[in-house]
Amino acid sequence: MDKQKPEYLRPALIAGAIAGLLSGLPIISAGNCVCCLWIVGGAAMATKLLAKNTSGILTSGDGAIVGALTGIVGAVVQMLIAIPLRPSNIELGRRMLDWLSSLGLDMPSNMDGLLDGGPGILSPGWFLLSLFLSAAVFAVVGVLGGIIGVSLFAKKKPQASPPAATPPLPGPGDAP
Amino acid sequence: MSRSGISRTVIAIYLLTVAGTAIWLSAIFLAPVLAGRGSAGAARLIYAAFSPICHQVPGRCFTFHGHPLAVCGRCLGIYTGFAAGLVLYPFVRGFSKLELPSARVFLLLTLPMAVDGAAGLLGIWPSPILVRFVTGAVWGTVLPFFFLTGLADLFLARRRKVARTLENIRTNNVE
Repeated sequence: MDKQKPEYLRPALIAGAIAGLLSGLPIISAGNCVCCLWIVGGAAMATKLLAKNTSGILTSGDGAIVGALTGIVGAVVQMLIAIPLRPSNIELGRRMLDWLSSLGLDMPSNMDGLLDGGPGILSPGWFLLSLFLSAAVFAVVGVLGGIIGVSLFAKKKPQASPPAATPPLPGPGDAP
Repeated sequence: MSRSGISRTVIAIYLLTVAGTAIWLSAIFLAPVLAGRGSAGAARLIYAAFSPICHQVPGRCFTFHGHPLAVCGRCLGIYTGFAAGLVLYPFVRGFSKLELPSARVFLLLTLPMAVDGAAGLLGIWPSPILVRFVTGAVWGTVLPFFFLTGLADLFLARRRKVARTLENIRTNNVE
């Protein structure tokens, strides 16, 4: 018997948009530095939404699909948000480096160059490459989050119950 | 699907994951090597690839060839733990059984990193880089058990579906 096919796209779009938004906003995006919190959490949330809207039992494969989709949606949303916020992100990064320097931490000589990124960083080619890399990385991380979500939120398979005990047939001695 | 069919699929996914993890870890170490040799463009590309998933704050990264690795100490711990989990996987789970770890185990192994991270964020405890690495590694060890199970389940489901479709076509042709 085929189980009802889960509807992956809707939960992935909702959770991916939220995860992408959180990943793109300055300061809040730092959550991704804690083991990709927003993407793993977003993918797990997508699995929770999927489990809520699906009558059947979700498999870890379902979690992997919805997690990967969530990661890809998250990457696209994050990149779109990051474009207008890029100048403020660079400024924030520079302040952070200044703060770390004031603490006496050694900065590598090329750090400023890496932060500036050079003139090519805003070109369409660089944007597409960044989008592709982010989507690939977020998809893999999302797969993980989706599968963890299955472990945390999906309905569990009912345990096989022992065969019901049949009442013993009345023996000759049981007759009233 | 037969047990050997499951094993073959899990082994193939396992080997691909091992290869992917080796490439991933190599890239983390390649970035500072390239930066040290003056290949700024290639180094920048690798640093940029890891930037969406790690803050890359130099003071929190191990250094290699005088430059920070492409990820921080905690992230390196997670990936190293993932690699260690891959080594343990055949001994703990084997290739013929697909079963997710329990949520309890996952939460238990997440706890050290969560406590360390929260204490660091709240300024209670200035977490040394080695502690970050170790707590990350503890968490990372459980991840392959989710990753491999999920992907193997996905591919096995696809294979079953294709087999069913072919069977239906064959039956229709006979009729």
